[in-house]
Amino acid sequence: MLRIHSLIMLLLMTTAMTAAPAADFAVVVASGSSIQNMAPERIRDVFLKRRNFEGDIKLVPVNPLGEDQLRRQFEQAVLQMNRDDVNRYWTTSHFQGVKPPITQASLESVKRFVARVDGAIGYIPRSMVDSSMRVLYEF
Amino acid sequence: MAIITHGVWAQEAGYQIGRGFEVSEFLTLGGYFSTEYELGDDKNAFLVDDLALLAYGDVGDRFSYLLELESIDAYVSDFENDTTSTNLPPTIERLYGDYKFSDNLAFRFGKHISPIGYWNLQPINVLRETTSNPRYSRRMFPKFITGVTMYGYTPFDESLSYQIYVQNTRDMDQDNINILIDQHYGMSLEKELGNGWKAGGSTGRFRQLDQTRTRYLQFNTRYDTAQYSAIAEAIVSYQDTRFAGSERSSSYYLQGEYRFTPQHAVITRGEYFRDGIAGIKERIGIIGYSFRPVYPVSLKFEYQWHADTKENQFVTSFSVLF
Repeated sequence: MLRIHSLIMLLLMTTAMTAAPAADFAVVVASGSSIQNMAPERIRDVFLKRRNFEGDIKLVPVNPLGEDQLRRQFEQAVLQMNRDDVNRYWTTSHFQGVKPPITQASLESVKRFVARVDGAIGYIPRSMVDSSMRVLYEF
Repeated sequence: MAIITHGVWAQEAGYQIGRGFEVSEFLTLGGYFSTEYELGDDKNAFLVDDLALLAYGDVGDRFSYLLELESIDAYVSDFENDTTSTNLPPTIERLYGDYKFSDNLAFRFGKHISPIGYWNLQPINVLRETTSNPRYSRRMFPKFITGVTMYGYTPFDESLSYQIYVQNTRDMDQDNINILIDQHYGMSLEKELGNGWKAGGSTGRFRQLDQTRTRYLQFNTRYDTAQYSAIAEAIVSYQDTRFAGSERSSSYYLQGEYRFTPQHAVITRGEYFRDGIAGIKERIGIIGYSFRPVYPVSLKFEYQWHADTKENQFVTSFSVLF
């Protein structure tokens, strides 16, 4: 009996490890961009405006509006901050003369912005990614 | 590219307190004020101690600027001596430009905050955890540079940043300068250690207008989580005076903060200060409470114990960054 239980437990653990859910969202640049990849720590720094360049390219991070659920998920998963932390960070940055990333009214506009503007970097649902985008990171 | 982005960007809806008012990509306006009430053995005063205007913006991809005009002690009502004074004409607190070649190499030129430690970089009431500043931040090194700072991340370690600063002139607008100098050279390093830890240090030398020359070595570290912050800074300096020989001064502080909600926090700080030339030694303990209904609005209370002087006092302040 004990052996059967152990076997079931092992099976459940193996299933849990192998069936991790696919990422829902992606950090993207335009497919023609010279930016090929970017580590998550660097993406965090770009969206916190601690880093502004990739080679010679000036980076332009873009957020959806603050109430967008995806933005909150991005802040938690990539910035590793809650909304209070984010507000605190940008208040301090205001005194240093640093503005938050620009915003777009919808995820569709984020996508269009990224496709059109050189150096733009944004995040959209995985399902919206098409051939005009290059995925740098998924979360 | 500025033209392209203008066509397609949308701004976050309306004005947001603590983020300024963005007139255009080239100009964001903001400011801050701070009021304070002090009650001690020989003190009973109300002050509007800071009133300031900020203007900053980007000009192209690589150049940006910042101007800060500030009236210090704009209004002081001293109930102990029954006097009132005003000081409204502003001084230039900061005026600088930044030119960024890359994340590894940028230059800041003009009057700016000395990049030494943590406290000095957030010198205004609303951004601090306590109304008072530790002696460390006011008496040991010049708060400002009027000169050039080269800065960036090191190319060999992206978690290590550097700043090399040079001043070889008198300070721009000397009204609110803590130490009047005509030379200052130094460098700072800071390392992000991960898991909320950071550490760094600075070393440099400066020359005061009375020809006193000072060398200093400074260390700083901090640890931050969502609820707790701990910060420690220490400095030792050697002053070669024109007539009194060489003396050593030192100062350090250790501060802890516990935020039991994002709005409410308690703060404790212990600090030590020894001025070898003036023969002064001070040990100060502080306990404080901070209430921030939103982060850019701060109401603080603190009580200070001075072990070596009769300066125990209660201080409260209200400050806003707008």
